[in-house]
Amino acid sequence: MASLKLEHVKKVYDKNVVAVHDFNLEIQDKEFIVFVGPSGCGKSTTLRMIAGLEDISEGTLTIGDRVVNDVEPKDRDIAMVFQNYALYPHISVYENMAFSLRLRKMSNEEVHRRVCEAAEILGITEYLARKPKALSGGQRQRVAIGRAIVREPQVFLMDEPLSNLDAKLRNQMRAEIILLRKRIDTTFIYVTHDQTEAMTLGDRIVIMKDGYIQQVGTPQEVFETPKNLFVAGFIGSPQMNFLKAKLIKSGAQYAVELYGIRVPLSAAKCEKLEKKGVGGKDVILGVRPEHAQLCFDGAPNAIEGTLRVNEMMGSELHLHVQLQDNTPVILRIPTLELTEQQRASLIYGSKLRFTFPEKVTHLFDPQTEESLLY
Amino acid sequence: MAEKKIPEVDIIVDEKAGVIKEVKPQQKLRSKKGHERRINGTIYTVLTIMSIVWLVPFVFLVLQSFRSYQLEKGGMVDYLLPKTFSLDNYAFLFEGSNFFSWMGRALLIAAGCALVTALLVHAAGKWLDKRDGNGKAAGIAVIACCLAIGYALMVALSCALHQYALNDCLVKALILLAVFALVGYIVARIYLKQDSKLLRSIPGYVAEDKHEGAKKFGAMALEFGAAFVILQMVLTPMVESQYLKWYGNTLTIALFTAVIQTAIVLSVSYSLSRLRFKGRKLIMNTVLVLGLFPGFLTMITLYFLLKQLGLTQAGSVPGLILIYCASSGMGYYISKGFFDTIPKSLDESARIDGATRFQVFLKIIMPLAKPIVIYTVLMAFMAPWGDYVFASYVAFGHQDGYNVAVGLYNWVNTNDYQNYFTRFCAGGVLVAVPITALFLALQKYYVEGVTGGAVKG
Repeated sequence: MASLKLEHVKKVYDKNVVAVHDFNLEIQDKEFIVFVGPSGCGKSTTLRMIAGLEDISEGTLTIGDRVVNDVEPKDRDIAMVFQNYALYPHISVYENMAFSLRLRKMSNEEVHRRVCEAAEILGITEYLARKPKALSGGQRQRVAIGRAIVREPQVFLMDEPLSNLDAKLRNQMRAEIILLRKRIDTTFIYVTHDQTEAMTLGDRIVIMKDGYIQQVGTPQEVFETPKNLFVAGFIGSPQMNFLKAKLIKSGAQYAVELYGIRVPLSAAKCEKLEKKGVGGKDVILGVRPEHAQLCFDGAPNAIEGTLRVNEMMGSELHLHVQLQDNTPVILRIPTLELTEQQRASLIYGSKLRFTFPEKVTHLFDPQTEESLLY
Repeated sequence: MAEKKIPEVDIIVDEKAGVIKEVKPQQKLRSKKGHERRINGTIYTVLTIMSIVWLVPFVFLVLQSFRSYQLEKGGMVDYLLPKTFSLDNYAFLFEGSNFFSWMGRALLIAAGCALVTALLVHAAGKWLDKRDGNGKAAGIAVIACCLAIGYALMVALSCALHQYALNDCLVKALILLAVFALVGYIVARIYLKQDSKLLRSIPGYVAEDKHEGAKKFGAMALEFGAAFVILQMVLTPMVESQYLKWYGNTLTIALFTAVIQTAIVLSVSYSLSRLRFKGRKLIMNTVLVLGLFPGFLTMITLYFLLKQLGLTQAGSVPGLILIYCASSGMGYYISKGFFDTIPKSLDESARIDGATRFQVFLKIIMPLAKPIVIYTVLMAFMAPWGDYVFASYVAFGHQDGYNVAVGLYNWVNTNDYQNYFTRFCAGGVLVAVPITALFLALQKYYVEGVTGGAVKG
C-alpha cells in the first residue's frame, strides 16, 4: 500500500525514439488507476518503467517516499500480471504461486497458508496440483493474479490482463477484478486499450496518445468533459460524432450554426467561452451518438441526412447516417422509443431528421483540437 | 424400410454411372500411385545400400576386435568373421590392471551399505511417525545419523576386505567421514525440502507418492555409490593398464570440458539473448567472423602458451581442458536461438517476483531449456572425446598424457602395427560405448517441446 509519484518521466529508446514524454502523475494510496490509449501510446512502457523492467531515461519515480529509479524490480515491492500470463510452465500452479514467497525464504507453513488463501479467493483450489498447461485461459489468468496476490505487494500492476480472453470471460473477469480490488484494497495500476474496462474499473483514468497524457480524470469527468478531440473520440462507444460548425457571437450570447440550423448556447457555456475570449469562428461540434434524437414530425432545427446502415443491437439501433456534405454520423436510438411504423421506415436510403439537446454538446477548436469548454 | 432401400438403389446407380465415368481418372490415379511407389522403392533401396556401406566399417571394427591377436596374427586378413571369437584383445586392454576387482568390490560394498542405510532410514521414519514428533531438525538429525552409520559401515567393510590395519587408513577415513557427513546432511535436507509435513515423508519410499519415493531411494543409492568409489580411490589406488590410463585421461578431459563449456556457453547465450548492452551486436558479429577460422590455426601459439604454463606433456590433461574450454563461448548460436524462443515475459515475471538475474536463469530458464542443455552437454562432451589434433601435440611424446585417440593411433603406428590392429579395434569399440549410451539415453530430449502452456499462443 503506497502512493506513487511520477515526475517528468521520459522514455527514450536508442535511435532517439521517444516513447513517453514528460509524464507527470500522482497516484494516491489504494487508488485504482487505469492507463488507456491506442496501441503504441506509451501506456505499457510507462507501466514497465514503474515495474522496473525498463530504465527511466529522465525524471523520477517515487513509490511511497522512496525514489526507485535505480531499484531492481525485485526490491520495489510490486506485483505484475502480464497479458500472456507468463506462468512458469515447468512447475505446478501451487509452486507458481509460491515461487516469489520461496525466494523470500518464507517458512513452508506461511507459504502454504498464503497460497491456499489466494487460491480460495480466486476459486482455483482444485487446480493447485496441475501444471499451467492443463488450465484454460481464464484459469491461467486467475493463477497469474493469484501469484501477484500472495505477495501482498504495495502496488499491483496489470498489463492488459484480459485481452487474451474471449468476450464473455472478459466481462466475467472484469467483474471479478472489481470484487478482488474490494477485497485486497491496494494501489492498482491497470493498462488497457479497451475503454469499457477503463471506465468500469478505474477510480481515475489516464488517457494517453503518442507518449503524451491527454487527460487525467474520473470516468465521469473524461466522459462528460473531454479535454480535447482525441479524448472525446476515444471514450464512448460508438465514438462521438464530430460536425463542422460555426460559432457566432452576438454580445455576450453565443450560438452554433451548422447545416442550416442554429443552436443557441446556454449561459454556463457562454460564460466559459467569454472567459476564454473566444470570438466567432469555425469550430467542431461534438455530439455523442446516444444523445441524438430522431424527429419524425417536422420539428424545426433538425439536421437532415440519409440512412446508410441500420444496425440492430437489440435494445437499441445504431443508425449510420450521411449528411449533405458526406459527413458520417452515428445515432444510437433506443428501440423502445420507436413505434413499429417508425422502425419500419428506417431503411437504406431513407431520409431522416435528427436533433440533439444543447446541454450535451461539446465544442472543439479545429486547429488546436482542444476543447473550448474545458 | 422403404426409406432405407431408396438410398441403396441410388448408390448402385451412382456406382454404375461412376464406374463408367471414372474409369480414366482411376487408371490415372493407379499409375500415379505406381509411379510414387517406384520412386519410393528406389529411394529406399539407395538408402539401404548407403546405410549398409556406411555400417560396414563399424561391423568390420567390431568383428575384428573379437579376433585374437595371439591365435590369428596379422593386421589385414582376407576374411571378415574371425575364425574363433575371443576376448583376448579386450583382456589386453585391461592387462595388469585391477580395474574389475576394484570396481566390483566398490559396487558390491556400496550397494550393501546403501541397502542397510535405507532400511535404517525407513525404520527411523516409522519410529518418528509413531512418535508423532514434529520438527525439521529431528528429522534431519536422524537421517544424517543413519547415513553416517552407513558410511562407517563402508569404511569398515572396505578396510576388512583389503585387509588393511584399521589405523592405517583411519585418518583418511575420518576426514572422508566428515566430508560425507556434510554431504549426508545436505542430502537429508533435500529429502525434506518439499514437504511441509516433513516427517511423514522422511524415508523416500514411505512417501505417498511411490514414484517420488523411488527417486529419492535412487538418489540415496547413487550417493552411496559415488561416495564409495571416492573412498576406494583414496584407500586403494586403482592400478591402471596403459589403455585405462588413456581412457581415464579422455574421460576426465571430456567430463570437465562438458561441465565448464556448458556453463560458459549457456550463460553467454542467455546474456546475449536477454541483456541489452553496448557492443552486443558488435561482439556477436566479431565472434561470428572469428568462428570462420578453423580452431587449429592457433595450434602453435597455443602450444607455446601452454608450455609456458607447464601444461604440456605431463600436464596435458589440464592443458587440454583449458584449450577445449577456452573459446567455448563462441558456440553460443544455437542455444541463443533457443533462449530467444522462451518468452521474455517469463524472465520479467520472475524478476518482479523477486528473483535475481541468476536465479531467473537457474530456476526458470534452465528447466525450460532442458533439451538445449542436454544438446550442449553432449556436444561439449563429444568434441574432446574424439579429438586427435590438439591432444596429439599437447601430450607429445609423453605416454601418460595421451588420450584414447592418440594412444590408439600410436599402437597402429608402431613397427608391430600388424599385430596391434585387432587390439586397436577393441579399444575403438570401448570408446564408442559411452557415446552410444549417452545418445540412446538422451535422444528424446532433442525433440521435446518446452514452453507448452506458459504463454497463450
